[in-house]
Amino acid sequence: MSELFAKYFPNVVYQGWTGDGGWLPAIGQTLYMTFWSAIFGGILGLIFGIGLVLTDEDGISPNRNLFSFFDKVVSLFRAIPFIILLAFIAPLTNLIVGTQIGTTAALVPLSLGVFPFYARQVQVALKSVDHGIIEAAQSVGATFSDLVFDVYLKEARAELIRVTTVTLISLIGLTAMAGAIGAGGLGNMAIAYGYNRFANDTTLVATLLVLILVLLVQLIGDLLAKVFNHKNA
Amino acid sequence: MTKEIIKLDNISVTFEQKKKKIKAVQDITLHVNQGDIYGVVGYSGAGKSTLVRVINLLQLPSAGRVEVSGDVLYEKSAQSQQIVSTKKLREKRRKIGMIFQHFNLLNEQTVIRNVAFALKHSGLKEKEIEAKAQRLLDLVGLGSRKNAYPTQLSGGQQQRVAIARALANDPEILISDEGTSALDPKNTAQILDLLKDLNEKFGLTVVLITHEMDAVKRIANKVAVMDNGRIIEQGDLLQIFTNAKKQLTREFIGGGSAKAIATLRDFQLAKLKSDERMVQLTYIGNSVSEPLLVKLYRDFDVEANIIYSNIEVLRGTPVGTLFVIIKGTPAGQQQAIDYLKAQKVIITQIAGQKPTEGSREK
Repeated sequence: MSELFAKYFPNVVYQGWTGDGGWLPAIGQTLYMTFWSAIFGGILGLIFGIGLVLTDEDGISPNRNLFSFFDKVVSLFRAIPFIILLAFIAPLTNLIVGTQIGTTAALVPLSLGVFPFYARQVQVALKSVDHGIIEAAQSVGATFSDLVFDVYLKEARAELIRVTTVTLISLIGLTAMAGAIGAGGLGNMAIAYGYNRFANDTTLVATLLVLILVLLVQLIGDLLAKVFNHKNA
Repeated sequence: MTKEIIKLDNISVTFEQKKKKIKAVQDITLHVNQGDIYGVVGYSGAGKSTLVRVINLLQLPSAGRVEVSGDVLYEKSAQSQQIVSTKKLREKRRKIGMIFQHFNLLNEQTVIRNVAFALKHSGLKEKEIEAKAQRLLDLVGLGSRKNAYPTQLSGGQQQRVAIARALANDPEILISDEGTSALDPKNTAQILDLLKDLNEKFGLTVVLITHEMDAVKRIANKVAVMDNGRIIEQGDLLQIFTNAKKQLTREFIGGGSAKAIATLRDFQLAKLKSDERMVQLTYIGNSVSEPLLVKLYRDFDVEANIIYSNIEVLRGTPVGTLFVIIKGTPAGQQQAIDYLKAQKVIITQIAGQKPTEGSREK
């Protein structure tokens, strides 16, 4: 079995499990980048998404200036292609993590790249909460934080899980590009060790691993969304 | 001495939409007494919902004065504008329950958590909140469904939960914004009876917004008719019912008799001679015990020809309506009318000479 595998996937075996260019470090780097930039980008996206909904004209505390600020920042960052963003914000990355190269350095552009996408998704998810429900909550004297946490976030929970899943998947896609600044990961494996060295078997296996990761995220996301949805039960 | 619990004075609400001003509510004054069930009726877009949202300032007016149980919530004069503080407003809102056409429950929380949500700032402990929410659910007959989610319940049941939530902070006022409009007739009747029950048991003041006159007839004691942002007629239900001045009011309240008048007019079914006139006789409850029309003929030599009759129920009391053409000498007619009045029959002139009082014709 392993002999057969070695015959058809010589380059995959050549990369080895551990060490520089090994499979385990590559998987680890992809997971590391996805996890931490999901945390940072997620928090930032959530703040901007909630801000957009609350300060909107029909939100619970309309504020034209603040809305316009959130809106412009999100639109601006969404407009920059990620591969350019990687290079463009290198000085900022240097300032924050002390280096512009490597897996940790990639977290800054990844977070900044994913947050505007997430912010828009969160905005749409929260907008799906019926205005009547907000009004009913206000009519029993709900406070601002009641409205945000008990009404908006809880009512849109299933929708938020769905958009988070979509965002995570697109984030996994972004980590593949982070190889350009030496961040490693499965994307880098597929390009640097596979494509560039004409090792098609390596590219194939790296792609399959990314695919499995995406499917896993999708599966868990769908499951959670189902558990937390009582609206259309 | 009845207390005026809601006082809306000279309220106007103007929406600005792309340089266009929409006057949703124009200079309305509406006072509601404690213990009233006040019906506000009108077609869609008349401004009913906008008007009642002013009571708990879910809708900020553009002018006027809002006073609820002695506290001024909003006042705007030419010089100054005064709005109650956010904190105080939240406290006031808890004393003004509100239910909605589409129930507006928190879909992701159980029935009992929905009620408990309203009690979050009541100062009660979690255990006490739970107990009170349970009591409220029992009150609306849903105690056994406390762990269900709203979408697992029927519309009528959801509205009951909404009522339990609205009552959580022991409000003095309950506003129903088309609260029965999305329900079937049976559920509508049940919800209305529940509101009336609460009104009688706890002295709850109810403001009932609806486009269904039947709802108002069933439980309200006062009614206001809205059209185009204004109240065109308001007062006692019975008084409005028997003596509506405006065509729209008649359309709404008159029900059968308004249609009858229109039919009579359109087809000229009742061509009156000079010694005839057509009147509407309204009698309430069991007030009519004598064979009236026979007596008219026998004692006053006045013939009465019935051309339409109808009976309706207002707040549980049957109210009969008769359209009759009476024929006789002027003196005989006057005597007949005086006699009917003595029998507590309400008389409204519809057509013919020599209108008595409360003429409905121009």
